Order: sequence, then C-alpha cells, then structure tokens
Amino acid sequence: MNRSVLVIGLIIGAVLVTILFSGLGRDPAAIRSPLIGKPAPAFALREVGTNRTVDIAQFKGKPVVLNFWATWCMPCWEEHPVLVANANMLQPNVQFLGVVFQDKEDKILGFLNQRGSSYPTVVDDAGKTAIAYGVGGVPETYFLDANGVIRAKYAGPMSPDILRENLQKAMRQ
Amino acid sequence: MTAPLGRILILASLFAAAAGAFVGFYAGRTRSAVALRLARGFAYAYAAAIAAATLVMVYALLAHDFSVSYVAQVGSRQIPTWVTVVSLWSSLEGSILFWGLVLGVYIAISTFLTRRRYEEYQPDAIGVWLACAAFFSFLIAGPANPFHTVPNPPLDGPGPNALLQNHVLMAIHPPFLYLGYVGMTIPFGFACAALIKGRLGHNVLKPLRVSLMLPWIFQTVAIMLGGWWAYEVLGWGGYWAWDPVENASLLPWLTATAALHSIMVVERRGILKGWTITLIQATFLLTILGTFMTRSGVFNSVHSFTQSAIGPTILVFLAAALLFTVALLAFRIDKLEVEGRIEGAASREALFLVNNLIFVLLTFTVLIGTVFPLIVEAVKGKQMSVGRPYFDSMSVPLGALLLFVLGVGPALPWGRANAAQVKKALLPPLIGALVFVAAGFAFGARTPWTLLTLAFGGYAAQVTLGQMFMPMRQRMKSGDSLGAAFVDGQLRRGRRRFGSYIVHAAVVIVVIAIAISSSMRQQIELHFTKGQTQKAAGYDVTFVGVEERTEPHRISTIGVFNVAKNGKQIARLEPRMNHYQSMREPIGSPDVHSTLLRDVYISLSNVDAANETASITVFIAPFIVWIWLAVIAMALGALFALIPQRRAVILSEAKDPLPTRAEPETV
Amino acid sequence: MTIVLLLLLQLNVPDAAQFVGSPKGAPLAGEALFARTNEVGQLLRCPVCQGMSVADSPAEMAVNMKAQVRELLARGYTEEQILEYFEKSYGEFVLLRPKSRVLWMLPLAALILGAAVVFMKLRKLEQPPPTANRQPPTDDPYLTRVRDLVSGGKQ
Repeated sequence: MNRSVLVIGLIIGAVLVTILFSGLGRDPAAIRSPLIGKPAPAFALREVGTNRTVDIAQFKGKPVVLNFWATWCMPCWEEHPVLVANANMLQPNVQFLGVVFQDKEDKILGFLNQRGSSYPTVVDDAGKTAIAYGVGGVPETYFLDANGVIRAKYAGPMSPDILRENLQKAMRQ
Repeated sequence: MTAPLGRILILASLFAAAAGAFVGFYAGRTRSAVALRLARGFAYAYAAAIAAATLVMVYALLAHDFSVSYVAQVGSRQIPTWVTVVSLWSSLEGSILFWGLVLGVYIAISTFLTRRRYEEYQPDAIGVWLACAAFFSFLIAGPANPFHTVPNPPLDGPGPNALLQNHVLMAIHPPFLYLGYVGMTIPFGFACAALIKGRLGHNVLKPLRVSLMLPWIFQTVAIMLGGWWAYEVLGWGGYWAWDPVENASLLPWLTATAALHSIMVVERRGILKGWTITLIQATFLLTILGTFMTRSGVFNSVHSFTQSAIGPTILVFLAAALLFTVALLAFRIDKLEVEGRIEGAASREALFLVNNLIFVLLTFTVLIGTVFPLIVEAVKGKQMSVGRPYFDSMSVPLGALLLFVLGVGPALPWGRANAAQVKKALLPPLIGALVFVAAGFAFGARTPWTLLTLAFGGYAAQVTLGQMFMPMRQRMKSGDSLGAAFVDGQLRRGRRRFGSYIVHAAVVIVVIAIAISSSMRQQIELHFTKGQTQKAAGYDVTFVGVEERTEPHRISTIGVFNVAKNGKQIARLEPRMNHYQSMREPIGSPDVHSTLLRDVYISLSNVDAANETASITVFIAPFIVWIWLAVIAMALGALFALIPQRRAVILSEAKDPLPTRAEPETV
Repeated sequence: MTIVLLLLLQLNVPDAAQFVGSPKGAPLAGEALFARTNEVGQLLRCPVCQGMSVADSPAEMAVNMKAQVRELLARGYTEEQILEYFEKSYGEFVLLRPKSRVLWMLPLAALILGAAVVFMKLRKLEQPPPTANRQPPTDDPYLTRVRDLVSGGKQ
C-alpha cells in the first residue's frame, strides 16, 4: 500500500469537503457590514421638496431606522407601507429617516404624495452618503441605537417581523 | 398520468443502475461471462429507462402538461418552441435529468463499443459507470424530482428564466457542457478498472484515450461558447470573469488536458501510469465538484441555482467518490508496472512532465482562489473576495510558460538527444519568434507580456508547422508527389499526429488572439444627444435615436447607432437596456460588429428616451473573432485525430515501399 | 449654485476625507483620469452583482461608486486611499484583489514544491525499470499454461 498517496489524498479530500460543507446554509450574497458596532457616519442632507436640512445628529437620544431607497426600485415600493405604518406607531420614541439617491426630485415627491409619508425623507444627490454607509443596493436599512452607533443592517425589503427583530438589536443598548 | 409515468421510468433507471453496478463488480471478481452479459444488459436498460423518462418530459413540455411539476415551473404557452425545448435543461431538476440522459447515452455507447476486445476491464468499468448513474438517478428520484404531480395544474406557466431566452447560444452551450462533463465518467470507469486489475496495459490505453478525448472536445467548445455568450450578452466587453462557476468548468478541462498529454508518455515509454490515472480520477472528481459548486448555492455566481437539498446530497457523493478513489489509488497504484525510462532531461518525455506541472499548478491556483473566501469565512468569520486581479496575475505567466513548452516540447526528439541534436532542434524556430514579434510590433503591440507571448507563439508556430508536415515531407523525399504525400502522410495515415498538431496550432492562435485583444483593446466612453456624431478610435459613431420595444417578458429601450469609417457605413448597432419584470436592475445588452480584423462593440450605460440622450461605452478590440474560430479549429483537429485507422489500410501498407526513415505514427 | 445651497443649507455630505484624510497624490484629469478610473474601478467589487467589478457593472450602485472613484482621483487621492475608503464602509468583500499574503504565496509555494517533485521524478525515471522485459503477472490459468508451454517450463 502506498502510504503517501493515502495520506495526501485523504488530507486533500477531507480539507476540501470540510470547506465546502462549511459553506452550506450560508447565503453568499448576504454581505455583513463592517460598520456594525461603529458610530454612524455623520451627515446633514436636504429634505426633499424643501430647503430644510436634516442632520442625523439631531436624533441622538433615540434609536433611528435609516432606510435607503429609490423610486425606481420595485422592492422599495413593497416595503414603503410597512415603514410608514411602523413610523406612525413608533414615533416619536423611534425616529425613521429615509434617504433617496440617484433619483429625481419630482419623482420622489410624486411617490411620497401617492403612498404617504410619516417621516422625513432626504436627498443624497451624489450618492456619497450611500457609499459612506456601504450601501450596495436599494433598499437597505440601518438600525442605529440611541448613541448613534449602527447596531444592525438589513438588505432587502422590510417586513414587520424583520423590522421588529432588527429594532430590538438597536434598542438593547 | 404523465408525471407518474416519468417517475416510474426514473425508478426503473435507478434499479437498473444499482443492480447493474453490483452485477458488474461481481462479474469483475468472478470473471463470469454470464454476469458480464447481465451487467451489459443492465447498462442498456439504464440508458433506455432514462432516455424514455427524458422523452416523457420533453413531451410534457411541448404539450404544456402543467400537471408535471417541472413543466409548471418552467413551461409557458407564450414562449417559442425552441425555448420550450431548451427549458428542459434551464432549471435545476431538468438539468439533472438531462445529466442522466447524457450519461445513459455515453454508458450505452461505451458498453457497446468495448464489448468485444476489452472484456478484462469492462465489468469493473460498467460497475463504476452504473454506480455513478445510480447516484444521479437517485437525485432525480428524490431531491431533484421533476416529476411531482401538481394537484391543480395551472393553465399557464412562467416560462424559463428570461435571461436564458436572450440568445441562441443559450441553446447549445449547456448541451456541449454536459456532453463534456458527464462524458468524463467513462474514462474514470476505465481508470478505476485498470487500478482494480492492477494493470494499465496497451489494450486498455486506446479506450481510455478515446473516451477521454471525445468529452474533452465538447468541454473545450463548451467553455468557448460560454465565453462567447458572455461577450455577446453581458455588456462589459469581456468574455471571462473568473466567476466560480466558470472556474468550475475550467478545472476538469485543465486536468483532462494534462492527462491527454501524459497518456502519450504511457504509450511510448510505459511510465507515468499511476500519474495519468490520478489525473483522470481528478478530472472526474472535479466535474462532481463543479456540479456541486453550480447547484449548491454556496458560491456567489451569475450561474448559481438556489440552495436546496441537492447541495448536501452531491457533497456526500463527492466525499464518497473521493474516499473510493484515494483508497483505490493507495492500494493499487504500486501494482502498475514501470516498463520504461526517461533517457534524459532534454527529451520530449521530460517536457511532458513540465507540461503536466504547469497544468496542475493552474488547476491548483484556480481552485484555491475560488474556495479561499470560503476558507476565510469559516476560519475568521470575515468576508473577502478573490477576483480577476488575482486570477489574471497568476494565469498570465503560467499561460505564457505553457506556450513556451508548447514550442520547445515538440521540437525535442523522443528519447536521448545529444547537445548537437538539441541545438539543431531548438535554434531555428527562433526565427519564427522574431517574425511574430516584428509583425506584432508593426501592428501596434507594445506591452511586454504581449510581445513575449508573440515570441513564444512564433517559436511554437514554426515548431508546430514543422512537426505537423513531417510525414508529408518524408514521403516527398522518398519520391512521392506533393498531393500523394499529403493524402497518404497526413490524411490516410498519421491522422492522430496531424490532428493533434492542428490543435496545437489553434492553441497558438487562441493565446495570441487573447493577448492582443486584451492589451490592444480601446475603451471610449461617450455621451450623445440625438443626431450627434463623435469620433471613437478612428470610427465615426452617430446616435440615430431611441426606440422602445415591448415584449411579453421585457421592455427594451434601444439606442440606435451608426458606425462609419472614412465616410463609409460599417454597421448599424442597437445596444439596449432590457427591463425584465422579475429583475431588480435592468440588464444591458450590447451589440457587436465583428470582423476578422477587429470588433466594434457598443454597450449602453444610460439611455433617456424622453430627452433623447444616451451614454455608451465603445470597445474596439482586434482579433476577438480568432479566439472563437481557433477553438473550433481545436475541436475539429481533435475530431480528425480521433477518426479510427482502418485495419485494411494498415494491411495494404505492407505492400507499399516503406519510407527510408522510420516515420512516427503517434505524436 | 451648489456652493450657495451648501452655504445656505449647511449641508454635510460624508466624504472620503473623514475616512482617509487628505489626498496624498497628484490630481488627475482628462485621458489619465479616465484610464485610472477604469483601473481602480477594476479593483472594486460591485456589491450587488455576482462578482463584477465596479468598472464593468451597469448597476446603479456600481455607477455611483465609479463616479466617486473618478471624483477622488481628480482630487488627488491615491489608489491605496480610495481602496481603504471603500473597505472601511463596505468591508474587505469589496476588494477584488485579495489582501491576503498567504493566498499570493501559495501558488509560488506550489510551483517550488511541484518543480522539486518533477525534478525527483525525472531522476527516478532515468533509472532503468526494476524488472525490464518481465511479463506482467496474471492469474488467468490459460495464460499461465501458455506461458509455461512457450518458455519450456523455465518460469
């Protein structure tokens, strides 16, 4: 019996199978944010349709649900009512804030007028805020705790359960 | 009625395969002729059952029988008929059924063709083939069942993935892929049989070689078709992105190519038997790894199917196959006789070893790059990426080295060569190297890697042409006319040699074409308003306007462009943005004007129908078409090499005068 | 106009400067800027596409990121700084050229190991085969009998 063949073969085989096995059950497209546990990047952006500035720092003291979206994104249409309803329920103890980028002012206003809005929506014209937050696509939602530290991030349309689950992470601090 | 019928046929195929595997191995141990005949019968039965099941599925698709779960998943009354046929392999369950079909056909043909002269190896080979077949039938019967009965069949279905209906290449790329990958099961069976017998004699080398070569041809074409499809459809101007599934298709091809070369050393010298068998085993195992990578959802890829129970099942089979192979190798590899030796380091045999080393290194690098993110995530919990920059940095030097060996290897003679012979063999092709570099330089190539590739390519081209026509030249020296010498030396005899050197020549063209088209590619971004003309690398591009086309599954916004050079219109290109209902992002579809000299490729990045503006990227790349054409030449050359030598021809040659110098029949 | 707005509204848009400091290189423009944007864009992964680079991908976010790369290059940021900025917000996932030194060394180690194996194998194969001209073993009774007859029972 050729011992070296046996040993080398078994080692390669075992390592390969273990690596592949470890990948099962994980979603390769779910990217974890490196900003979790770190202070949310500061920004102050213009509220859509107005000349007012909304600064995220002004919400310190309560948890914030920060939702990045756009009017051209189908899943954003689906999640909007969930956000509006929850905002109505939870504000002013929890602050909701929407950020739209790569979109047109009139389209955003039209969307909000049609579908309702219960929290401020700001415009990130050059998309730099999205980059600073590591937004890959829309919709993505960040959950900040009362100290302005990011505690959770969810990529995809919000559902009431997901919202509740992630908000709990932000409220635990 | 249809679904249960399909189900029964699948279960029948599972039974035939499982029983046949047992009987095959039993026949191998007891050498019972009855058992062998029974095993053969089971092999044919498996093929018949799975073919029947596939026919049932095709019938169900064409008849829009939505009571069959797979038809309900991918069928649709709205799509054209060719898309309905293609949908057989478009989705996970159907694709595994298709795998079973291809395997059945291969097993039946291989059993039939080896029934007379290879009785020593056939039982164990059949055992191995049918064991693999049983696994796939088990998958189709269980986790990947396409024949569930739908209780309340819908009136219509969603149709296959919209992306797959875009281009006709989608219809032929998967079948070629399957014919390539599934086919590797056959040489695996022969290799296992050789190990079990403890003998890799000359009588099993021929089926081993032929059963390795034919799937290799399909693999080669399949990989090229995949690249061509990506180029024509995806819009980023490239054809290979080192995507995990692309890598999965490349890995078995690399080891198979290495095996095709080392098998020649086995034939000539009777050495490297164990190594060749290891390469063939590795090729099969890599095809199973490849199917795992594509279907398990573990890897982030454009091609991935979603995760399901199939992933773990395939992993278990892979683990079992690995264990079986390693054990078989460990216990039997030392039985394989070393019959000869290598005469010296400056010989063709030694260069074959270098060839194998490079291919194995390439395989290792691509594999490690693909699985490394998994390792890091398992060990450190962090996510990282290994992308094109890594793979390109590794593959370019190795590819250049391979091209070098492709030139130097065939230049050297078999066996011992003294210093004078080596010099005589290795120096003249330097002229070819210089000619190619000069031509490339004149054409505009300036990058060091490209010029180096041209040098190696020119060297290899001269060597290849010289070796390719050696039989013809020798016949002419002994008095034959050019025509007779060509027909006799190249076409009637020496087909294997001629075909193989055609493959090599084509490889030189492919590598040079890849090098030049990448390094001399020009990329220009332009913004247009309607009617505007702008210059791009010597071409005049005019934005004619925007068209919108609505189809049942998508809305296309098309930018119409005229491309002209020196006042003469060359092409009307219509790149588009396709908005599919099911996709989050629009998918751009480019338009290409291809000539032998260069491609003009326009990709739409932004189009505004209301304001009639468009932003495009124009790619001008030379010699792209040569990549596709040369790979087809590779396939044709290899097919030509496979055409069997008729025994009558060999007998009749005994009457002809022999040429004065011994003429090498094999490469 | 933007400056006026900025002044009026006291906007604060997050910027690379907060993450990686001030630019360390020379600002680029024109052809050089276009070429470098492409090069650096090839090193960043589009977060939503499967494996495509930011330079090649048509996705909105990728286009956005590429524009940001162009702006930063124009301001004089180096490739290193730009990659660091994106790594801070997206994670190491976004770098297409892996940082791991192990990964880059492995093929080299394999090359050295492989070359050593080939060298040793060549040396071993240059020896004459252990039993030249010996007939392969067989357990076939008929073949054994034939051999016995042919070799005159000498075997």
